[in-house]
Amino acid sequence: MTELIERAAPATEGETVELSMQQAINRALRVLLTEDPEVLVFGEDVGTLGGVFRVTDGLQKEFGEQRVFDTPLAESAIMGMAVGLAMNGWRPVPELQFDGFAYPAIDQIVNQVARMNYRTRGAAPMPITLRLPSFGGIQAPEHHGESLEALFAHTPGLKVVAPSDPSEAYSLLLQSVRSDDPVVYMEPKARYWDRRPVRLSEPTDPIGASRIVRSGRHGTLIAWGAMVHKCLQVAELAAEDGVELEVLDLRWLKPIDAAGLAASVSRTKRAVVVHEAPLTAGLGAEVATLITESCFRDLAAPVQRVTGFDVPYPAGPLEPQYLPTIDRVLLAVQRTLEY
Amino acid sequence: MAQENITFTLPDLGEGLVEATVLEWQVAVGDTIGRNDPLVEVETTKSAVVIPSPKAGRVVELHAREEQVVPVGDPLVTFAVEVEDAPQAGIVGKVPTEEAAPRRRVRLKPPTD
Repeated sequence: MTELIERAAPATEGETVELSMQQAINRALRVLLTEDPEVLVFGEDVGTLGGVFRVTDGLQKEFGEQRVFDTPLAESAIMGMAVGLAMNGWRPVPELQFDGFAYPAIDQIVNQVARMNYRTRGAAPMPITLRLPSFGGIQAPEHHGESLEALFAHTPGLKVVAPSDPSEAYSLLLQSVRSDDPVVYMEPKARYWDRRPVRLSEPTDPIGASRIVRSGRHGTLIAWGAMVHKCLQVAELAAEDGVELEVLDLRWLKPIDAAGLAASVSRTKRAVVVHEAPLTAGLGAEVATLITESCFRDLAAPVQRVTGFDVPYPAGPLEPQYLPTIDRVLLAVQRTLEY
Repeated sequence: MAQENITFTLPDLGEGLVEATVLEWQVAVGDTIGRNDPLVEVETTKSAVVIPSPKAGRVVELHAREEQVVPVGDPLVTFAVEVEDAPQAGIVGKVPTEEAAPRRRVRLKPPTD
């Protein structure tokens, strides 16, 4: 197998190195496997192959087949095994190879992972972090471009997070795995190859905190995962027109940072939420409601949503017609400006 | 762009056939050929078929003489192919291409407040 992800040079904690998101996640997994002997990494092709996106590259060699191992192609069994391991004191970090392959494991995720802690009155916490390559944008076949955040966020007992760049991927994974609650960690596949300087630092913000990626005063764009980058492009173009947009990276999709949303939108008075998932009952509806509840009197216009469509995720060549585009986001911004 | 050598083995020609005899090479070492160009005519116990080239590239080596019997799975030909220096997606999907200057049609009217 060709090395698609070059070995990142060793760096000490706190140092800044240039990494792709793949490498940043790989680096975080190495930190976690090193610091905690109970951490186990497993899934389809994560061991010998190093993951279909090279994210677990070299981990089996470094930490051995007992701690980083391949599983059968059986997602329900992968998550069921994680439950059993967690009950016996391990800290499992399973991978389901693609978003669409989480569906066969929904029973384990919803009926066991999410509620075991509740069911046992805290006797059996589930410190499981499910790594789930998610969302679209890489022209992959069916079942490889799904956005399941609303499904998981709607399931009591789960935390849900989606990093937007390599630095975020690094620190949010450390935070997720160290949490004693189950976390669905949704990796935006379209940003895997995004390279930028990463500060290898401990997470400082609490779980559930959003972050402002760009400041502005005329409106707030709210996004997560790959759509944060899209919104930054939109903000850059809007600035040419004299419109200063704030970009809020929600990061945690459960719990949602209601206070962070309120703080931004009460200042900017306009909000557009952007996601890849279909519109109806998508997480954008939840975000819009939270904003309306906290900022009703401040809002200059109704909260706008720019999303995928209410159709099955389309085959690769149609992705550009499905995913939110710069123009669709700009039009939504214009609707809030003209209201 | 870097070059990489890729070896193509005799594919399973179906119906339980385990070998084929090379009848005639339709390319020579040094030829630059396109994907699906005729590569070699082989004969099985069923019929003679022309195998198209699975790759575009330059022929580096032919692993069998004409009249030679080749088992399924044995090397047939080696190509030098151009490979992208840019990141590769791996098994599924494509690496998204980043536009240097994102394009748009919509212009905004700034608010008056």
